[in-house]
Amino acid sequence: MVLGLVHARFGLSAPARRRSAMARQARIACEELGPAFIKLGQLASVRPDLFSAEVVFELEKLQDSIPPVGAEHIRTCIRSEFGRDPEDLFDAFEDVPVASASIAQVHRARLKAEYRPVLGDTLAAGTLLAIKVVRPGVRASIDADVELARVWLRRMPRMGILARVDLEAFLGEFEATLRSETDLRNEARVAERFAFDVRDDELVMVPRVVWARTTRRVLTMEFVEGWRLTELTDAERDGVDARALAVHGADVFMRQVLVLGRYHADLHPANLFVTPDSRICYLDFGIVGTTLPAQRIAIAQVLAATVYGDADRAVKYSRELGLVIAHEQEAAVRDRVATLMKRTLRRPGQRADVRGFAIGFLSMLADFKIAVPVGYGLLIKALVTVEGVAQAIYPGIDITQTVRPFATRLIAQEMLRPARLYAKAPEMLRAAMRVLSE
Amino acid sequence: MDNDDFMRFMASWALVHETADEGWKAAVERGSAQPEGDMAVGPEAFVDGLSALIAEEKERLKVSLASDQGEPAGSRADVAGHLDELTFEVSELRGRLESMQASLDALLDRSGDTGT
Repeated sequence: MVLGLVHARFGLSAPARRRSAMARQARIACEELGPAFIKLGQLASVRPDLFSAEVVFELEKLQDSIPPVGAEHIRTCIRSEFGRDPEDLFDAFEDVPVASASIAQVHRARLKAEYRPVLGDTLAAGTLLAIKVVRPGVRASIDADVELARVWLRRMPRMGILARVDLEAFLGEFEATLRSETDLRNEARVAERFAFDVRDDELVMVPRVVWARTTRRVLTMEFVEGWRLTELTDAERDGVDARALAVHGADVFMRQVLVLGRYHADLHPANLFVTPDSRICYLDFGIVGTTLPAQRIAIAQVLAATVYGDADRAVKYSRELGLVIAHEQEAAVRDRVATLMKRTLRRPGQRADVRGFAIGFLSMLADFKIAVPVGYGLLIKALVTVEGVAQAIYPGIDITQTVRPFATRLIAQEMLRPARLYAKAPEMLRAAMRVLSE
Repeated sequence: MDNDDFMRFMASWALVHETADEGWKAAVERGSAQPEGDMAVGPEAFVDGLSALIAEEKERLKVSLASDQGEPAGSRADVAGHLDELTFEVSELRGRLESMQASLDALLDRSGDTGT
């Protein structure tokens, strides 16, 4: 690590290479420092507005997976939350967890009596459940870990790293995120809202919540049989319509961002399942991004410009999304974007590389010292993740081909909206309309 | 293009040209004064009647534009959307109440109280 820091400090490599070396060291440091720092790194990995592209894409490799705590601790927690033993609440509670992360671990059980969920049909008695339980002592360890992180991160500006980051604010956000994650009712509510948004989509499923068995520290949901995208093998891909699912997954994301205004901003191949009946199942709703109506059309324009390789349009509408580009920088920025598009998105005979484009784009903004608005950064990161997810389902997919018709259709709809036609009509026509309406 | 679309198209056209076309205004006036069924009397009556119908559609278009909605407020789709949203919110609230009840029961058990 020291060698990496020295290398970075004294500028022995080009800026991007230096940033890459630093990013690798940051990832290794997070892994060595333990679960809280892994969470910290994961939070940083969705904030390209604060950290360099190299750091953001390196830290997304962090996996939040740690050894489980013993079943007796989990049983104590359930007893404390409900005043009853797991056997009184569930059938066939399994002591061996199926997943274990820094905040909580998941055990399986079966529903004791039928239950009417918020959405969809009644869950029958005997339905397989996933019981997510917050690990004991997590709140206390968060306090200690945040304090440690504060000491650790305060050293960073002195080394010339992260100069543009407000570390206190970032740590405050980190603390709030961790605290929110320890109240599992928050996740339950976000999951229900997500399920409501996609209620008409037969290819998407979200496990339903059993609220009567959910409290601050216990979340009970349907257990989904299937394969995590990280575990999907060729044989399993053959058994489902992988290409259609990959395209549909990208479509769902577009709909969330551009139509609904709420999107799963913590997508990761480990957070997604493919079910044997060819559906995509979403899990873990930790980070939710939002888009305002006024932003959506600008986002659609940026996406369309990106997939059609139109640098002028990309720069113009990025401004509408809050990117501040000085007049004297504009020509140079446009040239860099055009070159980048040619190199990553419009390669003859090759699939578009959205991830490569995003890294290059964010690096370019860093080089020009152009600040990245929070929502804009989150969106870029999410789009890259969607590409990764779609390719995990169907490796041959070109995400730009999916985005293209969706963005084009949305822009066309927006252009033909009566209110917009009115706004764009010549002043003389508007005057006539005002006279007529009086 | 079905009849509704055609009428809407003509209404849009009328909206654009109305102020400059006194002849059009006169045709609308004559058409509005027409007794029901007179539209079929002859070509002139047909044009007057059609002008009046288009003028009515134009008024609806103005209301739609003024409300900044593609669809008039209170339409069936609008109500269905709100109903869906409200049903979901009530169901979600029921879920959260169940969760709170579970926590309350546990606390009451611990305190030795049976609650209400």
